[in-house]
Amino acid sequence: MKKKITSGSGISRRTLLAGAAVGAVQLANPFVITARAAESVKIGLLLPKAGSYAVQGEIGQHGAQIAIDDFGGHVLDRPIELVWLDESTPQATQQNMHKLLDEEKVVAVQGGVSSGDVLAIMPVAERAQKLLMATGPNATEITGKNCSKYTFRVDLPNKVTVNAVYPLLKERGKKWYFVVASYAWGIDAYNQMKEVLVKDGGNVVGYDQAPLGTTDFSSYLLKVRQAKPDVVYVGLGGTDLTNFLKQMKEIGLTNQVALSSPIVNDTDLWAAGPDAAFGTYPKIWNYTGAHMTKRSTDFVEAFRKKYNQPPESEGWQDWFGMTSILTAIKETKSTDTAKLIGFLEEHKFEGYKDMPIFFRNFDHQLVQPLLVAQVKQKITDKYDYFDIKSEYPKDAAALDTAYGSQAEIGCTFKS
Amino acid sequence: MTELIISQVVNGLVLGFLYVLIAIGLSIIFGMLGIVNFAHGVYFALGAYFALTLHDSLGPWSIFLAPVGVGIVGILIEMTLMRPLYGKEPLLGLFMTFGIALFVEELIRTIWGATGHPFNAPAWLSGFIIWGPVLVTKYRLFVLVVTVLILLALWLFLHGTRYGRIIRAGSRDPEMVSMLGINLKRVFTAVFGLGTAVAGIAGVLAAPLWSVVPSMSESAIMPAFVVVTIGGLGSFGGAVISGLLVGISVALSIQFWPAASTAVMYALMILILLVRPRGLLGESWERFE
Repeated sequence: MKKKITSGSGISRRTLLAGAAVGAVQLANPFVITARAAESVKIGLLLPKAGSYAVQGEIGQHGAQIAIDDFGGHVLDRPIELVWLDESTPQATQQNMHKLLDEEKVVAVQGGVSSGDVLAIMPVAERAQKLLMATGPNATEITGKNCSKYTFRVDLPNKVTVNAVYPLLKERGKKWYFVVASYAWGIDAYNQMKEVLVKDGGNVVGYDQAPLGTTDFSSYLLKVRQAKPDVVYVGLGGTDLTNFLKQMKEIGLTNQVALSSPIVNDTDLWAAGPDAAFGTYPKIWNYTGAHMTKRSTDFVEAFRKKYNQPPESEGWQDWFGMTSILTAIKETKSTDTAKLIGFLEEHKFEGYKDMPIFFRNFDHQLVQPLLVAQVKQKITDKYDYFDIKSEYPKDAAALDTAYGSQAEIGCTFKS
Repeated sequence: MTELIISQVVNGLVLGFLYVLIAIGLSIIFGMLGIVNFAHGVYFALGAYFALTLHDSLGPWSIFLAPVGVGIVGILIEMTLMRPLYGKEPLLGLFMTFGIALFVEELIRTIWGATGHPFNAPAWLSGFIIWGPVLVTKYRLFVLVVTVLILLALWLFLHGTRYGRIIRAGSRDPEMVSMLGINLKRVFTAVFGLGTAVAGIAGVLAAPLWSVVPSMSESAIMPAFVVVTIGGLGSFGGAVISGLLVGISVALSIQFWPAASTAVMYALMILILLVRPRGLLGESWERFE
């Protein structure tokens, strides 16, 4: 016969256990309240985990993490939680943006390497009235005709990088060939550079669009070779640029023409290797050079210590983007979007570059100096590929003008 | 313009051989075992990464040893993860290989990092040859020759040896072959190892041309599937014709409509499957009908 197990007082063991559990919850109640008070501040991160821009995604995440470490992992006495979802196609990125906002309840979202993806998530941020810190896209319209009150952009618009690098490239000749990725960023880069080139009397001797993720450029390069250009301007990034450089070497074009692109990530050149890497590029930042500030140097050291390699541009961009979000939360003592936007529109960030940098209040573009960098003739270090040729603009007074006036930019926020 | 078109057609043919090389392993595994191997791309990537790692200590020998290493990985995966699924719902095999693909790609990212690695062709293969309007790089010619040699060796092995006849017979009627006292388990393991080793060779040879990054598996898997599907699942001859067709179509689309150069291979696949649902040289297999 099965015996009923009871305690000495005659109460069943099950009842005793249930009572103990209720008692424990009552006792623990103050801790539950404390835990609720320490609920994390969630910040969403949308960066690629796979595909052409996967490396930038990883380095960007590392940069954002260093910013969180700089804050000791806490803001407003609450732990900071970074929720990283994948940025792949515009549709999938949009879905992940919804997930971050609706399910994860993040206070702000950072990221976006591809302009196409960012253009797809900007309306989502606007509808949800949440801050989007776009750290990696370059298409001019993001802070131009498609601008949004809720989007701030860290990276450089194509229009500015084109103006920065053109004076150096035009010395190489007037015949230009364009190969660009067939989406917003690449097409915009072509339009911006073509306008400057044609106005200056140059010729477009070829223009090809290549699908994102193209592995083999040999057929494009046959056309380039046939056209005998002075300058090849490529709106390619990630593994596409690496493949292009490797195959240029294969066909004997390395250092035979001038090469540039609207922006460059060091990782694309590291992957191509010292023998294949060449060209003159605009860069948002470089981990070596006279432009480095104490704060940037500290960032490089922290990054090296944690990840055993120096940070490249994407790391800086996401470090700065996350730093600006956390600074806004800390200074406003709030996660309210309106307050964060108000702070970012007014604040000048000092010590991140060799002149103060700031988000303009009429288009939310980060106004900052950029570098014109050339791949070294002889590369001896695994990571140090660039000589800095110049900074653009040369002085702080010209900084705002370099990014265009409100009338030139064409950005009007919806009220 | 005619000169450029001739040049593009020849370039497309050479590119086609690279596609064939990537697709052969997939074709072997499907043709012999009936497994649609979604993990094919990661064996391709492992080939490049193994060669990269072994190169410092073994020099040129790494090129030969890397595919052997990939074959061993393939054998271990077949024995532990694939074997229990034989004779079961084909969908399970698809899920398993898909899972393996995701897992191995993450493993590559964890071990070698997300950043790409430089990988140069040997100096004696640098440079190019020009015949009239045609320009072919020495390295791509080398890839073409290797592909042809692999195809020849495989054909001779499958049609000229006793072991090859067992494999072919086993692929068509495994029960009958087992009843003859032949251990088909070992045969299947060897075939899987062979298919993955060939994927490894393709990875080693593609590494000087394409980015060596964890996601390189993705760049290989789609063209490989397209080539094998157009050619007819399991058909070597079909894979060769299909690879060359895809190569030429891609090259010509780059000449005339570059933005569509990726879409063109899928359009070609749709077109051919509409006319020949089993692909160009695909046969009716009782086992898979």
